[in-house]
Amino acid sequence: MAYQRTGFGEDMKLQTVPNAGAVFGANAPIGLGGLGGSPDGPLNIVHVFWIAGMSCDGCSIAATAATNPSVEDLLLGRIPNLPKVVLHHPVLNPGAGTELMRPMKAAVNGELGAPYVVVLEGSVPDDQAFPTDDGYFSAMGGGGFDPDTETDQPNRVTDWLWKLAPGAAAYVAIGTCATWGGIPAAAGNITGSMSLMDYLGKDYRSALGVPVVNVPGCSPVGDNFIDVVQAVLLFLQGIAPLPKFDDLGRPAWLFTETVHRHCPKAGYYEEGVFAEEPGDNQCLVEIGCWGPVVQCNIVERGAINHMGGCMVAGAACIGCTMPGFPDKYSPFYKAPPGSAISGGMSKMYGGAIRRLRRLSMRKLNREPLWDKTGEVPSPWAEKHKKPTGTDKTMSFFYKKLQYNNSVNQAKRNKKQPIPQSRDILSQKGL
Amino acid sequence: MCFKNLPIEFDSAGNATLKPGAADPYLYTETPVQTPIEDDPEKMRELLERNGHVRRVDFDPVTRVAGALAFHTVVDLDNREVLETASMATLFRGYEIILQGRDPRDAIFISSRACGVCGGVHANASALAIEMAFGISPPPMGVVARNLLQAIEYLYDHPIHLSLLAGPDFSEPAMRDTNPEIWEKALSTRVKGRATHGYEFMSEIMTDLTPLTGKLYLEGLHYTRVAREAYVLIGGKFPHPQTVVPGGVSTTIDTSDLNEIMLRMVQYFDYGRKTIAIWNDICDFFYEVNPKYRDIGTRPKSMLEPGQWDDPYAYDGTYENADDWARERWAPPGVIVDGELVTTSVKMLNAGVEEFVEHAFYEEWVGTTGGPSGSYPFPTDPSGNPLSPYHPWNKQTIPKPGGTSWKEKYSWSTAPRWDRQAMETGAYARIWAAAQAPEFSHARFIEPTGKSLKVDLPKAELPNDLVEWKVPETWGAFERNRGRAYCIMYTAAIAYDNLLIAYDLLRKGGPDARMSVPYKVPKDHRIGVGLWSAGRGYLTHHLEMDNGVLENYQILTPSTWMASPKDPFGNPGPYEEAVMATPLLENYEKPEDFKGIDVLRALRSFDPCMPCTTHIHTDERTISREVVTCACGAEGNHAH
Ligand code: SF4
Ligand code: SF4
Repeated sequence: MAYQRTGFGEDMKLQTVPNAGAVFGANAPIGLGGLGGSPDGPLNIVHVFWIAGMSCDGCSIAATAATNPSVEDLLLGRIPNLPKVVLHHPVLNPGAGTELMRPMKAAVNGELGAPYVVVLEGSVPDDQAFPTDDGYFSAMGGGGFDPDTETDQPNRVTDWLWKLAPGAAAYVAIGTCATWGGIPAAAGNITGSMSLMDYLGKDYRSALGVPVVNVPGCSPVGDNFIDVVQAVLLFLQGIAPLPKFDDLGRPAWLFTETVHRHCPKAGYYEEGVFAEEPGDNQCLVEIGCWGPVVQCNIVERGAINHMGGCMVAGAACIGCTMPGFPDKYSPFYKAPPGSAISGGMSKMYGGAIRRLRRLSMRKLNREPLWDKTGEVPSPWAEKHKKPTGTDKTMSFFYKKLQYNNSVNQAKRNKKQPIPQSRDILSQKGL
Repeated sequence: MCFKNLPIEFDSAGNATLKPGAADPYLYTETPVQTPIEDDPEKMRELLERNGHVRRVDFDPVTRVAGALAFHTVVDLDNREVLETASMATLFRGYEIILQGRDPRDAIFISSRACGVCGGVHANASALAIEMAFGISPPPMGVVARNLLQAIEYLYDHPIHLSLLAGPDFSEPAMRDTNPEIWEKALSTRVKGRATHGYEFMSEIMTDLTPLTGKLYLEGLHYTRVAREAYVLIGGKFPHPQTVVPGGVSTTIDTSDLNEIMLRMVQYFDYGRKTIAIWNDICDFFYEVNPKYRDIGTRPKSMLEPGQWDDPYAYDGTYENADDWARERWAPPGVIVDGELVTTSVKMLNAGVEEFVEHAFYEEWVGTTGGPSGSYPFPTDPSGNPLSPYHPWNKQTIPKPGGTSWKEKYSWSTAPRWDRQAMETGAYARIWAAAQAPEFSHARFIEPTGKSLKVDLPKAELPNDLVEWKVPETWGAFERNRGRAYCIMYTAAIAYDNLLIAYDLLRKGGPDARMSVPYKVPKDHRIGVGLWSAGRGYLTHHLEMDNGVLENYQILTPSTWMASPKDPFGNPGPYEEAVMATPLLENYEKPEDFKGIDVLRALRSFDPCMPCTTHIHTDERTISREVVTCACGAEGNHAH
């Protein structure tokens, strides 16, 4: 592997050991998982090669957070009708070194004997621009790719990526680095990093004819990724419909909507109420939220196990799922220019709407019984506001519209007798 | 006097000054590394004649660690010893260059993406560096929210290491394959922790450590999620939190957030007790089977912890008061050299740091700027303490990808040293520094005794309320793992303490309960440093800004310290040193049987985390197109 010898005879080379890192035994099953699985479908086994390029490993970590389903659900064969899934993952693999690289080498050389999917996390550096063996920005495994000869230098990740491409059943880019280049490809980078699509080119199709599938996010929602894996596998087994992807290869059912549309603060936006400082509860657009123009489902799906999500916790959106991330959203914590127009309009229109709604709410916060008795039996407030003249007029017209062509519940309520045991404690003299 | 090797002494008032007399106080002469065995015909001949079982054993990649680590060894299988080691970081992304020339407000979210295993720590360290430069600090609730985020994060981080990464090396299939005689013994060895974890025999624990099918493995995976659920309630997402902002956090906290966090946090009181019992039993069992297991991964007890979890009323964001507010932390700073706590000053910790690149894919920069005696940007820190030209604030790195050679350059990790010594860092260093802290301000659940650290959390379902980690006599892989297990409890105590403070602040309301302070990006020349640890230990972000733009941004991470290649003084990095000292206790007869489990146990005990280890710390001024031999161009070269 990684070693430039100053060079004297081949006979003076140290021998290696064949099973270094195979602590689960030379004959142990390779990879992780491959348990259970359905013998019936068109597929009964699929290998997943997880490769990290210019990555922070955050996508791997995000994937281990998935619960719907979880990684172990897939690997243990807990879901009926799915094939056996064998994962080859640098962070999770039981064996080390050649143990991990052997099946990948077999796949490169067409000797795996089973279909495989490649998952790339991290962007792709411009390492192919270096002469071979003259350095790298990202490497994994050593010894070259040829089954018969060994080389002395680290194997570049970029070599693995192109060599695995033609034979892959599918190629999935997970996370914004792999899908759109992300931070390693941001302004000022010196590694020439790019996305998987940029690297493989626009004509790439997998062995099954599928272009690169993109599951973006920095870091992505783990459930989004495993959901896509499950959807594709169920389709291949002839159970679920063909999953729909948008024109950039994103799963359409996850990434069509903007995050703003499902944001818990969207109502604030509509009523024109905005947070002034981080930590305020209202819409975050003025402290730098790009949600209205960002395709992301994190507030709807939750970050983990349906919990959290950026705005749910009070965080502004910086567009981390988008091809323009990060430079097109920089500087962070500054209101996007577009928000001056839309936010300004919503302040005008939303301000009026908000006032009307507060009026309605004063009425809606009262039981019909209290309307009749004119009293609110709650000591939580010292004095409860009585309906004003405006309230009464509003309410009159409101009821007219509301009950038009239907039954007037207000009238019926007027006829209800006041319960006799109302205010029981004072009746009992307590 | 904490420095033995650096040219720094202290005057009668305790101020650090340069030793007088030396023209080039930081100058050194490089000690070349020993010629690699395979490059030395004499040595090779001798070895091959002596026995046929000297082998090159490479682990590329080392799996069950985060990120890209490859490890080279030459082993003598007959004498069961390691003859040569080289630790290689095999990824470089250049985050610091990407940060240069940016609005400083971008730094938190961009640097957070340096590491996806514990991204939140970078967000916090970056926020501290920015706050120092901007001259602001968060209101108490902002500090408490950050503390909560970081403490909760470790409740995910420690279990992921112990269960998913390190645990499998002690599992039934690994034991059967590498040391079947020990597995036999485990079948009949009763363990002490039964009342806590429920296992009667060692073998049952080993069976349940098995990847994917073992109960302890799956339970660990589950607990990595419980903590992350709590995290995203106030962080928005994980691993890259979306709520850390300059001057505080943008989190909206209400009582139900705190209640939901509490519900999850308290589950770790019992999980922590159980994990401690498991790892105590593992250590006891192996030490009993063969005392040489104490030597797996052993090296000097020299380690660093810059501290973390600020006191909400002490932290003021200034460098001037850094020693004071850092000592008020739940994890106080400390430098331990050969088992002795030599300083608790973060400024001395900072002043002792240097980075060397003789064996990394970068070019020397000090020589190109006039030598150590020549002028360099920061001869002292803002308080007047001497800094080396090799200090991160002065660092100008010139990346130079190239072929790998054990004698020359073989890693993308630099070689950081403190007082010119290799240091390790991590969860165990954190409790070690806390256990020996001369003063400790947060005694509600945690009590340092000098020789141990006691954690006394409310009872959940299990007995054994008080747990006590004792400063270990011997140091190696097993003690690292044991220390990490205790850290679940220690961190749960910090999380719980901060949660109670958050409730209290919520109750009181007022300005202390605000989440952030307003600020303006300053336009003059400023520097800052975020001295705030990660789960795996030492972390600093050093920045320099002018005109509202970042001029220099440097991240120094725990695994850079530990995965480091050799230094110019001829000393190996901690991984290299620890593996060199590892006896090969694996059961093998022929080279074909050898798997290297003891080497892997030694490596994994450090909890390597490579993603953020490998980036460059650079000054834009020195990057030129010529040094980047690829055609990608060095766009970092634009002027500002
Ligand atoms: S916080 Fe962002 S996503 Fe939510 S409503 Fe406001 S602008 Fe839209
Ligand atoms: S809401 Fe924005 S910042 Fe949050 S995950 Fe979605 S795209 Fe990223």
